[in-house]
Amino acid sequence: MRIVVCLTQILDPEIPPSEFRLDPERKAAAEGVGRLVLNIFDENALEVALQLRERLTERVEIIALTVGPPSAADVLRKALSVRADGAILIVAPEGVSLNGFVVARLLAAAVRKLQPVDLVLCGREAGDWHGGQVGAFLAEELGWAGVSFVARVEVEGGGFLMRRQSDEGWEIIRATRPAVATVTNDETNVPRLPKVRDTLLAARAEIPMWMASELVGDQEKLWTVGAPLEVREMFIPSDSRVCEMIEGETIEEKAARLIQELRRRRIL
Amino acid sequence: MRTVLVILPASEVRRNEREAIGAAQAVARELGGSVCVAFIGPTSEIRGLHEEDSRAPEAEIERLLVVAHPHLEPYAPELYVSASEQLLSAVRPDVILFPGGTIALEIAPRLAHRIGAAIVTDVVGLRSEGVPSGSCEEKALVLIKPVYGGKAHAVLVAPRPPVIVCVRPRAFDPFDGRLLRSHVRSVEVVLDPSAARAHLVERIREASTMEVPLEEARVIVSGGRGMGGPEGFRWLQELARRLGGTVGASRAACDAGWVPASWQIGQTGKKVAPDLYIAVGISGASQHVVGISKAKCIVAINTDPKAPIFKIADLGIVGEYQKVVPALIAEAERLYEEHPA
Repeated sequence: MRIVVCLTQILDPEIPPSEFRLDPERKAAAEGVGRLVLNIFDENALEVALQLRERLTERVEIIALTVGPPSAADVLRKALSVRADGAILIVAPEGVSLNGFVVARLLAAAVRKLQPVDLVLCGREAGDWHGGQVGAFLAEELGWAGVSFVARVEVEGGGFLMRRQSDEGWEIIRATRPAVATVTNDETNVPRLPKVRDTLLAARAEIPMWMASELVGDQEKLWTVGAPLEVREMFIPSDSRVCEMIEGETIEEKAARLIQELRRRRIL
Repeated sequence: MRTVLVILPASEVRRNEREAIGAAQAVARELGGSVCVAFIGPTSEIRGLHEEDSRAPEAEIERLLVVAHPHLEPYAPELYVSASEQLLSAVRPDVILFPGGTIALEIAPRLAHRIGAAIVTDVVGLRSEGVPSGSCEEKALVLIKPVYGGKAHAVLVAPRPPVIVCVRPRAFDPFDGRLLRSHVRSVEVVLDPSAARAHLVERIREASTMEVPLEEARVIVSGGRGMGGPEGFRWLQELARRLGGTVGASRAACDAGWVPASWQIGQTGKKVAPDLYIAVGISGASQHVVGISKAKCIVAINTDPKAPIFKIADLGIVGEYQKVVPALIAEAERLYEEHPA
């Protein structure tokens, strides 16, 4: 079985709001406010793939893909450090807008080139734009089953059983093979830490590069696929809340004052 | 006149559905247009519609449609996308709205891809702006969504209609009017069951241990990494019970396996809008804060006075939750003895 895991590089979501700044010209986060990291849900997707490889008796090969500039190879090295079997960087020409439609078309072309592929996993959304679209677009591009918000995948007969997050709990979805799934976090797919030795090996690994122009023939058409949005501006929302610290000699006194304050504000 | 279509993959009118209709009314007001509401599901029996009422005879929603087909049970994403696509050719909308929720977020992007439409998910605000069109001026829809885990908001314009909008739960005022059963018209669709490549086989309900769902709760007591383990959540439940509320958690507590993932509140969990949100042992990462920004009052309890949660809270107590929460339980008990609800 061959599993492709699609990765994306994002600005570190853990940087505190006090250090976050925007670049009004680029209409994006200012460069240098934080390091670039592998999207957290992609780490969950990678973990789902790694666990499948460990659990199944059949041979499982995991290939990590990303679309981006050469510096995006860092997220592929992260995948190699937790022992993905291979990684490929899809290089897009500089200066073009990599919207979800374009990324999905490039990923679909790469998946076709890697055939036979049984399962494609993506994170449920990227931690910068929170679009949650590329996985669904990919299912449409490939004409495969597509299931979103999946936390666990089991092989069942010729297909898959997927545990999918719902608004009320979970749903079990039966999907045909091949399939695309977008992965959400739960307690079973917490990303593992790489071993030092594997990190060193990954840092030295040769990462093959596939040029977008080789993957998709008609370049003119590629950059006009779908309906990208125009970013008019970006702003940092202001939070007008002012925190009143409840003081007191003892914890009991603080608790009593908090309840009084909530009553005074007509919250309770 | 623009047509604003609300697609509700549901057989019931609940809060998410009402919020999507409320957002559609806002779009129609901004752009000038009419609202069409369409339910998609296995049955034309929609729960939560109103019977005819002589006191309110006029329809507040211009068109009320239902796309009912037996092949839509059990749930299969491809068939819902196909039904939505056929609905679009009957309605020809300029703007398509979906409610929050995992089903809508699964099918909306696939519909966008199929029809080549722009899509914006997690929309929290909208307005219109004039754009020159030949000799006159047209109105374009401007959409606002949080980005970078809520640290910034992006203001977006779709290049051409139609545009698909997925509404973030608890961001728009719900439609508070009546949807009259007698106004429902049905739309016929043709579905090929062999097109379904995935379908639902089982539902596992994992609601909170409380009766009130998180999204509807007036009071939420929520725990994070600072809880240190699953045990302390029993105190949070006790406090929530005494305040008539329910329990939630941060992503860290869910990932640790202390509480079910369905309790998660934040950017990728539930979005909540209680009157009172008590954050216990939650540091206040922006991906969590973005899910509680609509709370009327946020109380933070944390041992670290520098925790970012105090920056967005209304009231704060610095202290160990193991001491603060039992003291609050005792106070809450006293309160309800003095002022029974």
